[in-house]
Amino acid sequence: MGAYSRTVVLEELPSGSRARIVEIMGRGGWIYRLYQMGLTPGVIVDVVMNIGRGPIIIRVMGVEIAIGRGIARRIIVEPINT
Amino acid sequence: MSRSTHKKEYEIAIIGQPNVGKSTLFNILTGRKARVANWPGVTVEVHEGETDFDGSRIKLIDLPGIYGFSTISLEERIARNYILSGRPDAVIVLVDSLNPERTMYLAIQTLEMTEKVVIGFTKSDAAHAHGVHINYDLISKRLGVPVVPVSAATLRGIRSLLRTTIDVARGRAGRKKPLRIDYGELEPYVSSVESLLKQYEERMEYPIRWMALRLLEGDNDLYKYVRGVCGDDIAEEIVKIREEIKRIFRRDPAELLAKKRFEYLQRVLGDAIVRLEIKKGGFERFTRLFYRPFIGPVLSLIILLGMFMIAFTINTGFPLNILLDSLGMHDAASAVEEYSIGGLMEKLFSWISSWIINSFGESWLTDLVANGIISGVGSVLIFLPLIMIVSLFLAILEDSGIAPRMAVSLHGPLSKIGVSGHAIFPMTMSLGCNVPAILATRAIPSRSERLRLLMTLPFIPCQARLVVILAFASSLVSGYGALLVVLGYSAAFLAFAVVNKILYIYEKKKTGKKEPEIVLELPPIHRPLGKVLWWHVWDNSKHFLKKAGTIIFSLSILIWFLVNVSPSLAITDNPSDSIAAVFSHYLSPIVYPIGIEPGKAWIIAFALLIGFIAKEAVIETLTILTSTASPQQALMLLGLTASQLSALTVFVVLYVPCIATIAVIYSESRSVRHTLATIALMLGVAYVAMLITYGLSLII
Repeated sequence: MGAYSRTVVLEELPSGSRARIVEIMGRGGWIYRLYQMGLTPGVIVDVVMNIGRGPIIIRVMGVEIAIGRGIARRIIVEPINT
Repeated sequence: MSRSTHKKEYEIAIIGQPNVGKSTLFNILTGRKARVANWPGVTVEVHEGETDFDGSRIKLIDLPGIYGFSTISLEERIARNYILSGRPDAVIVLVDSLNPERTMYLAIQTLEMTEKVVIGFTKSDAAHAHGVHINYDLISKRLGVPVVPVSAATLRGIRSLLRTTIDVARGRAGRKKPLRIDYGELEPYVSSVESLLKQYEERMEYPIRWMALRLLEGDNDLYKYVRGVCGDDIAEEIVKIREEIKRIFRRDPAELLAKKRFEYLQRVLGDAIVRLEIKKGGFERFTRLFYRPFIGPVLSLIILLGMFMIAFTINTGFPLNILLDSLGMHDAASAVEEYSIGGLMEKLFSWISSWIINSFGESWLTDLVANGIISGVGSVLIFLPLIMIVSLFLAILEDSGIAPRMAVSLHGPLSKIGVSGHAIFPMTMSLGCNVPAILATRAIPSRSERLRLLMTLPFIPCQARLVVILAFASSLVSGYGALLVVLGYSAAFLAFAVVNKILYIYEKKKTGKKEPEIVLELPPIHRPLGKVLWWHVWDNSKHFLKKAGTIIFSLSILIWFLVNVSPSLAITDNPSDSIAAVFSHYLSPIVYPIGIEPGKAWIIAFALLIGFIAKEAVIETLTILTSTASPQQALMLLGLTASQLSALTVFVVLYVPCIATIAVIYSESRSVRHTLATIALMLGVAYVAMLITYGLSLII
């Protein structure tokens, strides 16, 4: 309900869901790579495939990206009901 | 007026994010006459090429594919330094028409550094089919930068791109100043840093505003530079401003600035791009199978195995000949072997050899040419078709977009031994040749993982080692021959897995690192371009031919002399009087433990020693030393048992692959210690594995 429903980590989102990035935790080279690939707070991501293990496939700005679960755990998102 | 307007020669840089089709376009622009430029101090390959256009000479510099200009990777640093050096007269930034929203980010960052930019939209032919419609004029007007749609498939826009680039280089088109994005609430901080730097403007080599932005983003290289030019006080001030942003906005400034750039991009592109939903094709859905557990890894392994089986069969008849043989179809089996490309080439070379001896008579010179050079180079050249076929398959996987999906599918299994899915590219390439495979590890984001791979990738047998395994196998009864090949590859992958796992556990204990990670773009699946495939195949073949023509050629001559000349420098017909024999007797004891008698041990020891330089040479050396015509005869004459052959196969597969691999490990790690450790590791593992294999085979 509403704009501030709840936040979860990207890793928990099921296939086919959509969410807005709230925050990316942590530091280091990974973060810059994520920013450069368009994963910044406010951006909408579609989860193409998340089967509970192995990399999560998401779509950001029309590009599909595979993201390891460890990194997906550090991306805080706010699910959007579609 | 000024000289630059009448200049006839221009230096143009081409940059783009990975997967935008940059290399393809570069090759089209230069007519495939590029060469690898040797840039001082860097080991990243930078290609240069030239083309003439409208009476001007254009030198094109193909910079590495990068996502942005932070300095997280060597590639990013090189591209950035080159653009800032002031050398390029213009920069062509390539943007993918299929996803401009993301790939334009690099163009925006480039425009903040320099005004001399042309934007090329690649794959413009495919955009419509994918439902993407782009208003190029609107984007051009908003950015004040020329925008040219191009297509590598139809060659549309190529001339227009060159013409526009020259216009920009001459200052007739494009922006007059770098792009200034409004960073909103961050502007006060950016200006503070700018005014700090302004005092030193005449001593600065880079644009002030760009420096201010990069310093706020936490660019360490630039920070050190500024501290050197402006002193510690100014540097301290800049750090304080950065900390203040962090405190007030509770965010990393790098994140805030990246976000602002993407928002700006959204304003530029927003209504200039219309996307129509296009239904996903059946093949696209099929590729989703790669992401499934179990099915994904199995599918990937089947593709890889199938690929090598087909390549081997066409080239050497193996393993089809063994299959037919075991089914009782002996004639068919030997026909497959005889009329394989390798078999036919072998015939050709032995015909040339005997033709030379027959027409010029027997002398030491004809012996050198026929039995030294031709049989030496020939025994290697017969593997050219194998290399071409394998390169073709690898190029198809890469250019179609299947390769990154395989990386995702194998990420799970691979992370058990401490490497990520990224490692699958260098691993697969290793099956062809270790040298490009080691260069390919640069794309791996984790430095510790990369260093581990530098040490362990050479365990994976390249085609040169395959040559040796196949020659050993051919001297055994067919069924056992196949087993020997399986043994060789199993030993290699086992060593790769075990050593990686041990290094990974050790590293985890020391630094507390977590599981390997992956962040990988998955470009849309598409049909590969024929010409691009051919370029890949030809580049690999050229590399191989060059090696056969230089290293193998010189080695053949050297080996011939070492085994045909005695220590007193007289020509001898008896190899056991030769320099090689006298010298190798000291090395012989290394093969005593696997039961090889002293009289023959020196031959094996010498062959293994030569194998350090290039693995193919092991076979060549055995053939020359035993004065036989083929590897089979050589091994027959040596009378090795199946156990001894198995042990030797394992040793040959696992020890140092070649001089070139060692050289590239050094140039990539820049560490003598790391390189020596790799050599010691390989020799140790190979020797122990050889003894174990021998011991086990005796029990069985």
